[in-house]
Amino acid sequence: MEIPTWKKKNLIGVQSLSQSEIRKILKLAKFFKKSLGTKHNHLKGKRIVNLFMEPSTRTRIAFEVAAKSLQADVISIAEKSSSLTKGETLRDTALNIQALGADAIVLRHSSPGASLFLSRIVDVPIINAGDGAHEHPSQALLDLFTLEESIGSLEGKKVTILGDILFSRVARSNFWGLSKMGAEITFAGPSTLVPKSFESMGAKVSHDLKDSLSEADAVMLLRIQHERQSSSHFPSLAEYTRIFGLNKSRAKWLKKDAVILHPGPINRGIEIDSELADSDNSVILNQVTNGVAVRMAILSLCTLSRIE
Amino acid sequence: MKTICIKGGRIIDPSLNRDEIGNLYFNGDKIIDESDASNIEYFDAKGLLIFPGLIDLRCHINDLSGGNCENISSVTRAAGAGGYSTVVLMPDLNPIPDNPATIQFTRDQINKDAIVNIKLCGNLTKGSKGKELAPIGSLQNAGVVAISDSPVSTQNNQIFCKAVEYASMFEIPVIDIPRDLTLSENGNAHDGPQALKMGLGGFPRIAEELHVQRAISISRSLKSSVHLSSISSIGSVEMIRDAKKKGVSVTADVTPHHISLTENNISDFNTNFKTSPPLREEIDRLHLVKALMDGTIDCVSTAHQPITEHLKNVEYDLAPSGVIGLETSLNISLNILKQTKGFTWLKLIKIMSTRAAEILNISGGTLKKGSHANIVLFDPLKKWKYTTKNGNSNGKNSPFDNMIFEGKVVETIINGEPILNYKKFISL
Repeated sequence: MEIPTWKKKNLIGVQSLSQSEIRKILKLAKFFKKSLGTKHNHLKGKRIVNLFMEPSTRTRIAFEVAAKSLQADVISIAEKSSSLTKGETLRDTALNIQALGADAIVLRHSSPGASLFLSRIVDVPIINAGDGAHEHPSQALLDLFTLEESIGSLEGKKVTILGDILFSRVARSNFWGLSKMGAEITFAGPSTLVPKSFESMGAKVSHDLKDSLSEADAVMLLRIQHERQSSSHFPSLAEYTRIFGLNKSRAKWLKKDAVILHPGPINRGIEIDSELADSDNSVILNQVTNGVAVRMAILSLCTLSRIE
Repeated sequence: MKTICIKGGRIIDPSLNRDEIGNLYFNGDKIIDESDASNIEYFDAKGLLIFPGLIDLRCHINDLSGGNCENISSVTRAAGAGGYSTVVLMPDLNPIPDNPATIQFTRDQINKDAIVNIKLCGNLTKGSKGKELAPIGSLQNAGVVAISDSPVSTQNNQIFCKAVEYASMFEIPVIDIPRDLTLSENGNAHDGPQALKMGLGGFPRIAEELHVQRAISISRSLKSSVHLSSISSIGSVEMIRDAKKKGVSVTADVTPHHISLTENNISDFNTNFKTSPPLREEIDRLHLVKALMDGTIDCVSTAHQPITEHLKNVEYDLAPSGVIGLETSLNISLNILKQTKGFTWLKLIKIMSTRAAEILNISGGTLKKGSHANIVLFDPLKKWKYTTKNGNSNGKNSPFDNMIFEGKVVETIINGEPILNYKKFISL
């Protein structure tokens, strides 16, 4: 399959994508998924640099596998092994990477807006692999892909995103993606992590688990990052599990064919019961596989983009 | 000595409630009456506005952050270009003005390099650390006109309370930047819809409002004045308005950026819009403007905060807060306030000059006979483009870069000396 015309060099977020652009990415991902395991030569001779300034397993490896499946050369740089520990700024690191001949940079960083910042400094495509609590577009796109695969068109579908929304880039990117595809989104969880102010974005906000689950066609669980919030946001993981954890009896509130997603890493027994994570309703492992196909699509589109 | 007559301009002097076409005379560094004038040289000011030099109650040269961005010479050139005849430097100086010796050191530098009047604000606590009171009486003897830990907010209530009580004995104003740090520790942006989308936040209105209430309560119970600088939230405005109605002796200022910009301006993570307190919502902005017009907020201060480019050109949450403002303050304030009902030039100049002099209890803000000849000549029709590149400040962190303005300061006269070399003035 030929890579379709693509005019956006950078993938900073889903907020700035149109529905037709999202469809284009998902269509190409579908093609790559069918042929997973076969090597494509779309990025032969291209050098992709993974610049990961925050810990990541899934995303980093998925980007690496995706790039290698397109026969690109991949260089992965983690914070601890880079000169950033010597006080070099992100700006200088990126300029150096560019000077060394990168064809695209995949960036994971703790600062919101870091990818946009970098895209103004270097000429090579920047692909955002998560910037603080801002966006995580490749995750949201693979979630859209997985959802369409499991429940069909998202037009009019109800999706509940449950957990730590306030600090979540996955929730934000999914919100943009899902709403552009016509779905209704409910953010659910404790009031300190899901403040009412999210209604200003156009999401529904619920602090009642039963309410938020009963009509959902899909529920997306987010990892509770107790290490990230001070204990001021909620009392304990045990309390969270007691009030908002998805267990077998609460799963009965869900529609029979509702699907369960989780971007990982899962805290089994905290936000989700182990059994549920492995149940027929769970598409969690499909998300991982789809992540490679979607990232192959993203890498080839951005790296081969034609700016007019 | 020759007398200079600025002839036929529109004279705006809030201290005399004077707004009329007329002549203004000065001899040496003093303004004089026509009857005392002899040996007169005339300067034709037809079409120009003539008003007292502006006074900035809060200006930083941000000497402590490294990078050697601004200095006395550059900050006063920027001030002069913006029509400021007097700026009050906040205590983020190097060395820090928490004792008479360092104040003398800075004054020596000022005497050497300043081209406008500079007043100093001494520290409220030693080293701005918020733990021990600075020697406020000695600082006043050394020449400071106010005390504050600005841009740091004094967190300890006991220390702040005692500082206000102690300072009242010397009748020296206390300037507070209201901010509760426990509620705004990672305060990168206003906790509003815009920041929520961007994954930023951390500086809610309540972090400011709690300290506004603190200042009001302390001022009320001790019957001492407190000046609140950089008010940004609608709640603060309401509290200050109520307090003033009840006769509490609090005063307040707002910055040009808070009356002209909102959180929407940060949507593309441009750090030149990152300020502290952060830009808030349109409803806050509208109430700030209204409060300025009805006197709830007394004056505009620039909160001029030059930051070296390489420190500002980083990831948004890592960039320091602050913007420059001396050269654009008058034009921004004019642009915003002239759209309001009840705008007069007298009110504008009161807000930009006279009121600050009253709060600080310093001379200036007037063209009365016998006062220092600190005078601004303003051409209301002259169009110009502001660029940081051609600006006088060494800081380039302005949210108003490349803006086109109508009306320009064409000359600033400091103690009788024109400092901008306005062509016509020189031709005298």
